[in-house]
Amino acid sequence: MKKVCFICFLLLLLPALLIWAGGEKVAEKPAPAKEVKRELRVTEAWPTYIDPAVGSDFSSSISLVNLYDSLVYPTPKGDVIPHLAERWEASKDGMTWTFYLRKGVKFHDGSELTAEDVAFSMDRIMTIGEGYGYLFAGRVKKSEAVDKYTVRFYMTSPYGPFLTTLVRLYILNKDQVMAHIKPDGPYGEFGDYGKEWLLTHDAGSGAYKVKEMRLEEYLLMEKFDDYWGTFKPNAPDLVKLIGTTEAVTIRTMMARRELEISDQWQTSEALKALDAIEGIDIATMYLGTVFYYMIHTKKPPTDDVNFRKAMAWAMDYKTVREKLFPGAREARGPVPVGFPGHYPDFTRYERNLDKAREYLKKSKYYNKLDQYPVEVHWIAEVPDEEKVALLFMSNMADIGIKVNVVKVPWLGVVEEMTNIDTSPHIVTVFVAPHYAEAGSLLESRYHSRSAATWEQNEWLLDSQIDAMIEKAITTIDREARFKLYQDIQKKIDEICPSLFMFEQAQKHAYQAAYIEWPAIIKENKIPVMGYDFDARFIQVFPEKKK
Amino acid sequence: MRFLKYFAKRLLHSIFVLLGLSVLVFVIARVIPGDPARMALGPRAPESVVQKFREELHLDKPIYIQYYYWIKGAIRGDFGRSLFTKRSVASDIKEFFPATLELMLFTGIVMSLLGIFLGVLSARYSNRWPDNLVRIISYMGVCTPAFVFAILFLLLFGYLLNILPTIGRLSPYITPPPVRTGLITIDSLIARNFPAFFDGIKHLIMPGIALALGPMAQEARITRSSMTDNLQRDFIALERSQAIPERRILTKYLMRISIIPTVSVLGLDFASQLGWAFLVELIFNWPGLSRYGINVMLNKDLNAIVAVIMVIGLMFLVVNIIVDIIVATLDPRIRLGAERSK
Repeated sequence: MKKVCFICFLLLLLPALLIWAGGEKVAEKPAPAKEVKRELRVTEAWPTYIDPAVGSDFSSSISLVNLYDSLVYPTPKGDVIPHLAERWEASKDGMTWTFYLRKGVKFHDGSELTAEDVAFSMDRIMTIGEGYGYLFAGRVKKSEAVDKYTVRFYMTSPYGPFLTTLVRLYILNKDQVMAHIKPDGPYGEFGDYGKEWLLTHDAGSGAYKVKEMRLEEYLLMEKFDDYWGTFKPNAPDLVKLIGTTEAVTIRTMMARRELEISDQWQTSEALKALDAIEGIDIATMYLGTVFYYMIHTKKPPTDDVNFRKAMAWAMDYKTVREKLFPGAREARGPVPVGFPGHYPDFTRYERNLDKAREYLKKSKYYNKLDQYPVEVHWIAEVPDEEKVALLFMSNMADIGIKVNVVKVPWLGVVEEMTNIDTSPHIVTVFVAPHYAEAGSLLESRYHSRSAATWEQNEWLLDSQIDAMIEKAITTIDREARFKLYQDIQKKIDEICPSLFMFEQAQKHAYQAAYIEWPAIIKENKIPVMGYDFDARFIQVFPEKKK
Repeated sequence: MRFLKYFAKRLLHSIFVLLGLSVLVFVIARVIPGDPARMALGPRAPESVVQKFREELHLDKPIYIQYYYWIKGAIRGDFGRSLFTKRSVASDIKEFFPATLELMLFTGIVMSLLGIFLGVLSARYSNRWPDNLVRIISYMGVCTPAFVFAILFLLLFGYLLNILPTIGRLSPYITPPPVRTGLITIDSLIARNFPAFFDGIKHLIMPGIALALGPMAQEARITRSSMTDNLQRDFIALERSQAIPERRILTKYLMRISIIPTVSVLGLDFASQLGWAFLVELIFNWPGLSRYGINVMLNKDLNAIVAVIMVIGLMFLVVNIIVDIIVATLDPRIRLGAERSK
């Protein structure tokens, strides 16, 4: 017993020794900040990659928009306005694009942003190939700094949406990145291209700069006082992206006014509870994400266009929108309504059993429906999809189509979609546009290049559609390009390769009592992921907190 | 001397166990469906870039060659790059492990002190109201998952009473201590940064107690059962017949032998927190290894999965050896038995 007491004594003595003998004195007082800072705290799903050549998901996009500048800036209408580039011009054949940069733009380290930095940023994102690199890889052949404030891009072929995609080219400080390169990386003379350093630091010129980045926990950004652009008068001094989506945690933080905007992953029950807290409202946004039932067009019985149209007319979309995904918007075709390049005359499907039976009768499988059950694979990680699948099963039973509903983990779905034989009749997937134009969805969903990926279970492999898509995206003139997009949608409408369930509503709870968020007004919403969170346009009034 | 030899042998066995574990986990991690390179770079990355990345990770080579590269690096402390955080796995472990270790230590202290105290109380007042009360508490603790406690605490102390911090390890207005051990409480004591120390403790209370309640209940039941069994033994009757005070019997003779099973289970419970804490870490946004482990598994981050499981395995082995030492110290018969078995 004495020994035990002695050991306990030693254990108590150890921290005491650490404190008084080994310890060193730090700041006399940890000085809590007395001044009231305007702080904007937003929760988001982790990870957040703040390297412009790596990040492309929602939280990464929010941070990139705030830390970096792009040559052009998206507008609520889906087109672009000058930003770092004051003006630009494209050659007649669309093979070169020249941008004239704004003078006097400062990076966070005080150095001036020049054409060299722009060319470096383009080369870097294409070489690394991650994040938004796919928008430029294979499209841009070479980038060149013509003079200090002029940069030119040479294309491999004309690329119509190039200007639209440039909202995703974030400009890095070349010198700063080069100073932090690790030589033993995979990019030859560029080592790791500064990837490791840029995980927790920024090299941008954006309205905010990194103050602290704690992986898996939060990203804290502070206002950049030398920013060339404008801030709203009460724009936040600090912006914090917190890596959590836990409903109880968020509810507690919002009630304590420790969180201004919630992530979009909250369930409808959680949002309802948040809405009930005084001063909190729910903002609904539409970024063009469509929930598709991707139908295999090369496998019986869904290889028959009449069979597919029968399914399209038998489905009860209204119930899905109103009961299963409240707030969701009607999807009319593969391109959301109002999205640049949308075809307004796309067939407006609604539940109509007479029409469904009419098409089914025309189908070659009409008399042998029980021999051809349809298999629907829904994603196990999104439980709400099961409800839609069960409703689909019940709706199809009304016209005699037998449906088997199968729950498959996402990785399993991705694996089976790599092969035309293993792909099921229907896979249920949400797809978001890569850039704010119809061409993005049309290319990623229906071009033969995307067959064998999770973005296309239809296996269209249609050379005519491929040619139409190619022609559209290589057309430089915007109006002409949009006309071609509409022709493609007309063609898609004829062959009905997918069911367009709804356009997803993205909902965020926010502190309506003390923040002013322009994006809550329909006319201000920018259809490019992350841009509605450009903090310099959001106003915070801590004095209004209750 | 023989005792030392016995533990040296245990250590040697542990190396083989770790080696076996590494082979097993390495193979299992690679048979999970999905292409890790494609998952890391995203569905839209060009195939050429993905292929280059596969080669960089040696995924284009047979599994035994991959293992060779991995073990070669692991011996040098290089576990490769994480596909999830995009940096070296060793840096990730170095950053996330101390957070979970700190939580585990706090949990360990709470569960052992409270568990043994409640167990002794229960045994001392066997079949009386304190025993019944502890029994109810224990049953509740054993059958309720830690995340339920976490949510209840968050709602009660964070939402309704608003007296404890909800997320993270330190409040934003507190200057963090310089990193020495990575354990905020210890680092702040070393730096004499007492506001950080107390703030760190405040952040530990909710997740720590949520994690401790389940094992604590188990410890209490085991201690109680062991003590009530031993109370019937002849040596206790002998001590009582010699008019030794009840408190002395309890603390000097009964306690020492009765907590041996508790200590054994305590060790396992302590080490298992490393793997089980992920939901609690998620709820409190605690940047720990457990949460990291789940994230890397969901993202098929091969190198990180193996490294995390190896760390957990290593912790189990270390804790088991420590438990063996404690048990052998408490009961000489076990120590002598080990020596005789030579």
